[in-house]
Amino acid sequence: MVVAAGDILESDGIGRGQRSVASQRADELTDEQCMTRLSGPEVEAALSALYDRYSRTVYGVGFKILGNRSLAEELVQDVFLKVWRSAGTFDPSQGSFSTWLYRVTRSAAIDLYRKRTSRVRQVPDGARHIAAARDSSAGPQEIVDESWLSWRVSRALEVLDAPHREVIELAYFGGLSQREVSERTGVPLGTVKTRTASAFRRLRRELAVGDTSREAIR
Amino acid sequence: MRCAEVHPNLAAFVLDGLEPEEAAEIRRHLASCHRCRDEVRELRKVNRALEAAPPPADPPSYLKDGILSRVRAERLSTSDKEEPQGSSIEDRTGSSRTSRFNRLKDLRVVLPSVAAAAIVVFVALGVFFGFLREEPPVATIQLVPTPREAVGLEGYWGVAEIRPQPSGNQQVELKLNNFEEPKPNSYYELWFVSGEERISAGSFTSVGEGETRVLLNVAPQARNYRTLLITEEHVDERPTSGEEVALKGKVP
Repeated sequence: MVVAAGDILESDGIGRGQRSVASQRADELTDEQCMTRLSGPEVEAALSALYDRYSRTVYGVGFKILGNRSLAEELVQDVFLKVWRSAGTFDPSQGSFSTWLYRVTRSAAIDLYRKRTSRVRQVPDGARHIAAARDSSAGPQEIVDESWLSWRVSRALEVLDAPHREVIELAYFGGLSQREVSERTGVPLGTVKTRTASAFRRLRRELAVGDTSREAIR
Repeated sequence: MRCAEVHPNLAAFVLDGLEPEEAAEIRRHLASCHRCRDEVRELRKVNRALEAAPPPADPPSYLKDGILSRVRAERLSTSDKEEPQGSSIEDRTGSSRTSRFNRLKDLRVVLPSVAAAAIVVFVALGVFFGFLREEPPVATIQLVPTPREAVGLEGYWGVAEIRPQPSGNQQVELKLNNFEEPKPNSYYELWFVSGEERISAGSFTSVGEGETRVLLNVAPQARNYRTLLITEEHVDERPTSGEEVALKGKVP
């Protein structure tokens, strides 16, 4: 039977207005408070707030270590569903939410890495074999070794407010000079330089704090 | 130049973002100031750490809605299962008063029904697991070469079969015939396209003659994207689904 792909799945468009109002309240909660609300009636608002705070990091780290946007998207979905389902295993006395979420992300990334490998192996006898496009990408041990630094730097960047993050992203990732950043954003050159210096100071501080929590992820 | 004038520019200097003459002045100052050299050394550590940062990117907006929908659906499903089922207290009390004779009589009526129900369940499970093993596709899409790619090639075609997954994703099984190996440092990417919008279903490579089968997954939202493209992408560039289209198909 041939059926249009458009008929396969149900659409989603439920309760957007209600959700945004509830999310505003959850935005004022700490990560740990949001976690305690994942088993109650405010689960969607709490999960939504955590998603807003961490999805860029999970997606970015996922893309970096899995090397594929589809897999990174699958990772984001797996991780936040695990956050909801495994909220009871989070113990704030054992470490921060960010460190716990990193462990969840790392474990999900390794699962996806193995799943990708098994997808490649699901070729029946007699058919021509295939190879994943990025077979040379990091294996599970490399994921463990490299992803924590990626996570820390991403979190440090997320801690910056939007104007400071913008100058770093344009200068570092965009390769723009300070003058070009100024022209692009319309912010005076002196302010761009001040923001760059201030952002570097903040990043230095955040990364130094991250160093001290290295043992927490073991 | 004094330290107080140099300091605000050191981060920009480390980022290589100053004008050439400004950078030259900083270098001259650093040659004679160990305190500012130490500061630059520290700032370079931050700069090196940024190399580990993932490129700034937001996940697609539909992901969040999808996750919250799953949570909502699973919560509803769980609460449905927790609804009390079966007989009421009165029923249970009544049955406890049933005589031994009546219970035996009931058993004679009930046992064949239970056996019949067991057979139905057994058959249903067999059918269900049979489907799990070889679920038929809900959409089959013929993929044909674009004119440029097809020149001089024989038996070069593809089929995409789509199967919905319990996770909400769609599994796409590609069956490709005589699909050429991509150029060095390149790979193939499957896209679902609608106008200017596109969603990647993942990437793969292939090895020429014969049949190649590839299993990929794509997000639920791809159901509204009715054109399929297989493009050739270079490993060092961001995939664009732009120019090197190898196969193309339309969802019927």
